[in-house]
Amino acid sequence: MGLLEGIKKYSQENPAINTQNKEAFSMFLELGFPTKNDEEWKYTSLKKIISKEYKIENKGEKINENEITESSLGLGEKIIFLNGELLRNPEISGVTVTKKTNNNPKYHDAITALNAAYAKNGYNIVVKKNTQITEPLEILFLTKNASNNFIQYNNSILLQENSSIKILENIKNLTQNLCFTNTKTEIKINNGGVLELNKIQDYSDSQFLIDNTNIVQDSKSCSTINTMLLGGAFTRNNLSFIQNGAHCESNMNGITVLNNNEFGDHHTYIDHKNEKCESNEMYKGVYAGKSNGVFNGKIMVRPDAQKINAFQANNNLLLSDDCSINSKPQLEIYADDVKCSHGCTIGQLDEKALFYMRTRGISEKDARQILTFAFVAEALEKITVPSLYEKSKALIEAKLNVSLSI
Amino acid sequence: MLKIENLNAGVEETKILNGINLTVKPGEVHAIMGPNGSGKSTLSSVIAGSDDYEVTSGSVSFYGDDLLSLDPDERAHKGVFLSFQYPVEIPGISVSNFIKAAITEKRKKIGLKPISAKELLSKMREKMALLNIKPGYLSRNMNEGFSGGEKKRNEIFQMAMLEPKLSILDETDSGLDIDALKTVAAGVNKLKNEENATIIITHYQRLLDYIIPDFVHVLHNGRIIKSGGKELAKELELNGYDWITKEADKKWGC
Amino acid sequence: MREKNSEDELLEQVTSTEYKYGFTTKIASDTIAKGLSEDVVRLISKKKEEPQWMLDYRLKAYHAWLEMEEPDWANVNYPKPDYQEIIYYSAPKQKKKLNSLDDLDPELKKTFDKLGISINEQKRLSGVAVDIVMDSVSVATSFKSKLAELGIIFCSISEAIKEHTELVKKYLGTVVPARDNFFSALNAAVFSDGSFCYIPKGSKCPMELSTYFRINEAGTGQFERTLLIADEGSYVSYLEGCTAPQRDENQLHAAVVELIALDNAEIKYSTVQNWYPGDKDGKGGVFNFVTKRGVCYKNSKISWTQVETGSAVTWKYPSCILKGDNSVGEFFSVAVTNNLQQADTGTKMIHLGKNSKSTIIAKGICAGKSNGSYRGLVQISKGAKNSRNFSQCDSLLMGDKCGSHTFPYIEVKNSSSKVEHEATTSKIGEDQIFYCNQRGIGTEEAIAMIVNGYCKDVLSQLPMEFAVEAQKLLEISLEGSVG
Repeated sequence: MGLLEGIKKYSQENPAINTQNKEAFSMFLELGFPTKNDEEWKYTSLKKIISKEYKIENKGEKINENEITESSLGLGEKIIFLNGELLRNPEISGVTVTKKTNNNPKYHDAITALNAAYAKNGYNIVVKKNTQITEPLEILFLTKNASNNFIQYNNSILLQENSSIKILENIKNLTQNLCFTNTKTEIKINNGGVLELNKIQDYSDSQFLIDNTNIVQDSKSCSTINTMLLGGAFTRNNLSFIQNGAHCESNMNGITVLNNNEFGDHHTYIDHKNEKCESNEMYKGVYAGKSNGVFNGKIMVRPDAQKINAFQANNNLLLSDDCSINSKPQLEIYADDVKCSHGCTIGQLDEKALFYMRTRGISEKDARQILTFAFVAEALEKITVPSLYEKSKALIEAKLNVSLSI
Repeated sequence: MLKIENLNAGVEETKILNGINLTVKPGEVHAIMGPNGSGKSTLSSVIAGSDDYEVTSGSVSFYGDDLLSLDPDERAHKGVFLSFQYPVEIPGISVSNFIKAAITEKRKKIGLKPISAKELLSKMREKMALLNIKPGYLSRNMNEGFSGGEKKRNEIFQMAMLEPKLSILDETDSGLDIDALKTVAAGVNKLKNEENATIIITHYQRLLDYIIPDFVHVLHNGRIIKSGGKELAKELELNGYDWITKEADKKWGC
Repeated sequence: MREKNSEDELLEQVTSTEYKYGFTTKIASDTIAKGLSEDVVRLISKKKEEPQWMLDYRLKAYHAWLEMEEPDWANVNYPKPDYQEIIYYSAPKQKKKLNSLDDLDPELKKTFDKLGISINEQKRLSGVAVDIVMDSVSVATSFKSKLAELGIIFCSISEAIKEHTELVKKYLGTVVPARDNFFSALNAAVFSDGSFCYIPKGSKCPMELSTYFRINEAGTGQFERTLLIADEGSYVSYLEGCTAPQRDENQLHAAVVELIALDNAEIKYSTVQNWYPGDKDGKGGVFNFVTKRGVCYKNSKISWTQVETGSAVTWKYPSCILKGDNSVGEFFSVAVTNNLQQADTGTKMIHLGKNSKSTIIAKGICAGKSNGSYRGLVQISKGAKNSRNFSQCDSLLMGDKCGSHTFPYIEVKNSSSKVEHEATTSKIGEDQIFYCNQRGIGTEEAIAMIVNGYCKDVLSQLPMEFAVEAQKLLEISLEGSVG
């Protein structure tokens, strides 16, 4: 039984849950899972994933402290979910962390409608006015289950006026059973708020993920989302920013290093609705083996959103003839006093640089690894939590099979 | 030729010029000096007619005409030339085409026929020789990929071609090495005559070693706080600006 | 204090510029009843005295078309034409077959003079061979005999179907199959004329070949078909220009152009498109839905250059299929939209051969309330080792009511190829205008100069006489802000 049938069956067996968001569920049923005919899914097929059978309700698994420590990045306070249930919830002064409270979430497509209809769990973080949280907050989503899982989270983050926080999200599947996660996070940043959200996605081959993150910004707020995609059989990140206020800044950076049969898709959307705002986007991708990548970045500047600076770069390295990249950088501009640009490159390592390094006595293999690391390093530097920078660097180096002591 | 009276100007709420008074007569060379942020470049932009700045009060007359009521191109036709501190790149347009357009426009306004290609070319050759400019330069795109020195030399070349009555050299010396500075200065000196006047805007005294000013004015907080002869520039070089600015701050308040 | 809004005033003037080719020619024409049916397809074929295979081709296309839907993925909005309200065949009546252009109907001749195409003049001065397509049929082809001496065939496609059957049969519909899209199917069913050109092995066409297209009759659609074959080692430069009279209703133009560059051949295809764009309130204007595609064999090259200033709605993607190793595709485009014009244009570069190279330079200029989009595809297949693409898409915005959009698709499937894509959108530089002003150049001239400089990379690709025309057109299209 495929996932769609599974969900239908589940909804019939659990009529009470159906009421959570009836409209969303009927929208999902009407649209079904997106296919390649859908422009936004042109290069991304869910076919193999949704043809598998998953358990939709998960309960009763236990986890020991060692497993948590091993999975965690070990930085600061932790919120921990196990199989969709909130396991641990830290107390931080100035921050409220609760279980999902929003029972009427927004949705705009089949995937988010499914999430709105059935996601029962998630975190809800509120950072109080004028509160600066310097210690990073880690959110750990763990799965450990005896069967294939379909898990949905519905999260929200609110930064009240002039508050700031740095968060990192980490998803781990501790078993060989498949885990398909559909997560949605609504973020609101009030005037003057500053958010840094780091997503560490170094999944195992048994992990499929669709991550929907929507950020709404008020005046003079700043958001930075760094996504490190370093593995996983299938990952689709939908990241969108809506700048409602003036003088906003939105930054999105991504590093993708994939190998084998891994698949990664970054969809980003920045909606400049107000004047004098800025957006910066830098996505670096390295593809080896039979991996496939998709980048789709759209910059929208609404009428009268004047004095916008929007910059987007997507650079890719293809290391094997069996991998591929599809890139679709888009500009949609309705205001004239703007500076918008995008650049996209797809290619190989600079042969001259390789040669130069070899003349200095560095082996070709090392030189390639060093240059590949250098290629992604620019995006890595956007992480401002030093310990997380080091961790991410180590993860990337491991993925690239580099041991760099320089 | 130029009379500036009680000129006040700024950007939105910020006042930059606070009552400038300056008179320039034909044949004179004036130097306007002052520390960074004193309003030197604002003054030159306002004279040229940039709408980045708003004139709140005062007047600027040029041979009796109200300069402030004219568009920048009309001011140029009257004979006002600004050598930009940061000359602008215009991709796809060659230096020769650009100068030709500028000359043609001016001639059109004063009722002259367009300059013939032959006449234009010989004039360009003459001025290029004067300024020691290499051939091949004319077909390059306006300021595109020019070095700092080349850009400044291009400004002086245009000045030579357009033969203005009043030239304002805004930080023409910045970014120039000593050889380029000498060439540019020599060019300016060769173009100087009884009919035209020059305003040199500079932070340092070194350009004034090569172009000798008749008057030196010190600009501070948007006011001319001291005027004198060429010896004033030397004094500033030796003692810096502090001694006059402190005195002025006492007088005007900061 | 001087007026600050002079630029706004100029932009105001832009929107009041009128189309200069909006006259009609009063000549008797042979026009069939409006509407499309199998009978109409048969009638067109019969009127053209076509062989059976051609009729079969048309009917097959017609039936395919019936099952297709008009595409709506482009970033344009327009009322869908009623395909039963269009006249599918209209030909100027001529008393006898022409032997030379001098025998041309004087009314027609006047039309060409108004269009600025002085056939004799061009014949003498620049040696451009011209084929003229009025409404649906080719009315005049110059230099035919001179070209024939070199083995070059340059004639109307109707004539080619009859006289050069084997060539047409071999290549027609091979690059743009009838089923390719809604408009290509429609064209295949009802095309009434167009140009045909064949350059034999190893010859370099000694002159520019040129076709002028004009829609004259009211209510007619124009569906011309161009087929250009450059045999091994040959070279040709081909120019195409278009105008239409000013009418309140929308007119449909759905052309198909197929280029075939065999081994070591080179085709340069230039278009200056100036169909009637509609008035400043968006009334009338030509819907320009065109499919242009070329296929490149080994070591061959196809270069598309287009200056698009007209049409109410443009939907056009001149493309290259780089089939052969070492083949080269180029696309140079200037697209100007003003008032309520909409343009969705770009290219597809399909890399199949090894070491294939493509270059895309697209410059968009949007003024008034118009919308301009670049849409492009660069596809590098697994077998296209060591391929290269460079794309540069820039947009210049004039006024705060227009929109400019970029939708590139980049698909790469091997690790030895390199793709670089850059796009920028910005306003015309105020600092540049001020700099020009300071040198005594008025704002209007300054804008003209900056726009020209901005388009230089594309304009310089056009043959001389076309470049001058294109520059003038740019100025007319943006008149008021461009001197």
